[in-house]
Amino acid sequence: MEIRPILSALMRSKVSLVLIGLQIALTLAIVCNSLFIISERAALMQRPSGINEADTFTVSSIGFGEGFDDARTFAEDLAMMRSLPGVVDATTINAIPMSNGGWSEGLSLTQEQKTSTAPTAIYFVDDHGLNTLGAQLIAGRDFRPDEVSERNRTTQGWPAGVIMSRALGEKLWPGQAALGKQVYLDTEKPPVTIIGVVDRLQSPWPHSKRLAEFSILVPQQLVGDGRMRYLVRTAPGQRDALMKQIEAKLGEINHSRIVREARSIERIRGEGYSQDRAMMIILTIVIAALLIITALGIVGMASFWVTQRTKQIGTRRALGATRGMILRYFLTENFVITTLGLAIGAAMAYGFNVWLIQNYEAARLPWYYVPAGCVALWILGQLAVLGPARRASRVPPAMATRSV
Amino acid sequence: MLKMNHLSKVYRTHLIETHALRDFSIHVREGEFVAVTGPSGSGKTTFLNIAGLLEEFTGGEFLLDGIDVRGMNDDARSRLRNEKIGFIFQGFNLIPDLNLFDNVDVPLRYRGFNAAERKRRIEESLARVGLSARVKHFPSELSGGQQQRVAIARALAGSPKILLADEPTGNLDTQMARGVMQLLEDLHAEGATIIMVTHDPELAARAQRNVHVIDGQVVDIQSEPRMRGLGVVQSAVAVG
Ligand SMILES: Nc1ncnc2c1ncn2[C@@H]1O[C@H](COP(=O)(O)OP(=O)(O)O)[C@@H](O)[C@H]1O
Ligand SMILES: [Mg+2]
Repeated sequence: MEIRPILSALMRSKVSLVLIGLQIALTLAIVCNSLFIISERAALMQRPSGINEADTFTVSSIGFGEGFDDARTFAEDLAMMRSLPGVVDATTINAIPMSNGGWSEGLSLTQEQKTSTAPTAIYFVDDHGLNTLGAQLIAGRDFRPDEVSERNRTTQGWPAGVIMSRALGEKLWPGQAALGKQVYLDTEKPPVTIIGVVDRLQSPWPHSKRLAEFSILVPQQLVGDGRMRYLVRTAPGQRDALMKQIEAKLGEINHSRIVREARSIERIRGEGYSQDRAMMIILTIVIAALLIITALGIVGMASFWVTQRTKQIGTRRALGATRGMILRYFLTENFVITTLGLAIGAAMAYGFNVWLIQNYEAARLPWYYVPAGCVALWILGQLAVLGPARRASRVPPAMATRSV
Repeated sequence: MLKMNHLSKVYRTHLIETHALRDFSIHVREGEFVAVTGPSGSGKTTFLNIAGLLEEFTGGEFLLDGIDVRGMNDDARSRLRNEKIGFIFQGFNLIPDLNLFDNVDVPLRYRGFNAAERKRRIEESLARVGLSARVKHFPSELSGGQQQRVAIARALAGSPKILLADEPTGNLDTQMARGVMQLLEDLHAEGATIIMVTHDPELAARAQRNVHVIDGQVVDIQSEPRMRGLGVVQSAVAVG
């Protein structure tokens, strides 16, 4: 409709146009990229770990004194825990998924290769490990009691059979079943055989691009350093009570150690992703602040223009504009300004994304973010200008002759 | 063309009532050039605003080109104003951010003419006021007299039934005022119906007919000989 004269009139007030246009452009660029980062973090946080998180917790202790017997303590502790009413199962374990601390190794398909094919997290568990974790076995079998061995600082090589996460199997042998395959954890020692595959098992490093989903269960108990860590699974609803109970009992069984506070897997997940959550909160605040500032900027600018142009509006009415036409004039003007800003903002949004990709290993912004952001800002602009535009439409036509 | 019978206009604020027009009757025929004079605050602008449908009236009857405008809604009044009225303001009221072409275009867009029709009308009316060469100029680049001629072109462009001018020369020096007055006279000679409010007796004398307003009431000089003695508008009698 009136776009050309509106545009040429706007070109005569370039400073305001540039200011509000740039504000809209910046808002689009930052909001699109922030929303994308938020959605990426949310997707990261929503990935299932593959284990039972609701009913599991971990507890650890450090033994002291000359004659501290790791193997015996393990046996006593596990027997105690497994006999407690409400405990579903318990296992020794060296690290917890998403906890950001653990053991990793490189895997090689052949003995000759210099660099490994894939990295993996190692979980040392006993024959109760799979059941305690609640990981879903999709091929092969669980460990037998007789397969569980002790591992100390001097132990070389690896047990004959291990259980592997499906993602790792697909990485090592794309398109083939991992079950029964052999892989080298140490190229100078015999390979290990995949005796079971679990659907998912996250590594302790949820932010690692290389090995977040790559894990191996190894049937060994780490002895010799006096450190013990257990994973316990309880019946639903009994976790918190059993955490306290087991913490206390471990201290009673063996006085020559310090029991560390038991921590639920839910809490570990929360801590593991705390940075992501903080980032999401900050970005949400940034987005909200930008949208509010932009909306207020539009309201302020439009109000100013309506006041400044009161006589002009009266004149337009005197020349035959209906109220609706005046309203539409200001809505259209806002649409034109917003569109100019969005055109610049779209370029800035992609540029900003490229910069994030180069400097922060960000992913490519999906194409639909910018169009969606444009629609949102168009709507925001129209809503923001509606008040001033309605005020303009109520300027009486007599303003043309009455005001000086 | 324009007929008001016993029209009244009351401005009400919470403190006072102002009777701007009372028992106001006037009949302007097609092709007439009427000058409206009167002291400041007598109701001249109020009359013109009501005549041009910028304001509503309180009582009485008003027919514009045979149409009873009482009780018309705002949109209908706007459309009627756009179609039948050409306004010329004391302060020109051009839109500073639009060039001459776009200024004259404003009422034509409200009318809904297509682009070719608008272009034709804009060029014709700017040519009529002698400003064809300045279409791309902005109002601030013109003298006051030229700006008022643009405003007249804008008023003419829609082929209105009647031109309403409120002190059209009030902001101009004598020479420019003469030029604008000459233009109005030429338009009248070509058949335009014009109502012009002025406080300048010399200009009023050049109109075909004079209407004097005092205290919100019409005092028609010809039918009210007693007014002569007061010497309010000595030169107004001349035209028949
Ligand atoms: N919007 C208004 N509200 C209240 N009083 C008004 C308004 N407009 C005009 N008046 C009053 O109406 C009377 C006539 O005003 P106006 O028609 O402007 O006179 P003129 O144009 O002859 O100088 C004056 O007393 C003026 O103060
Ligand atoms: Mg006046």
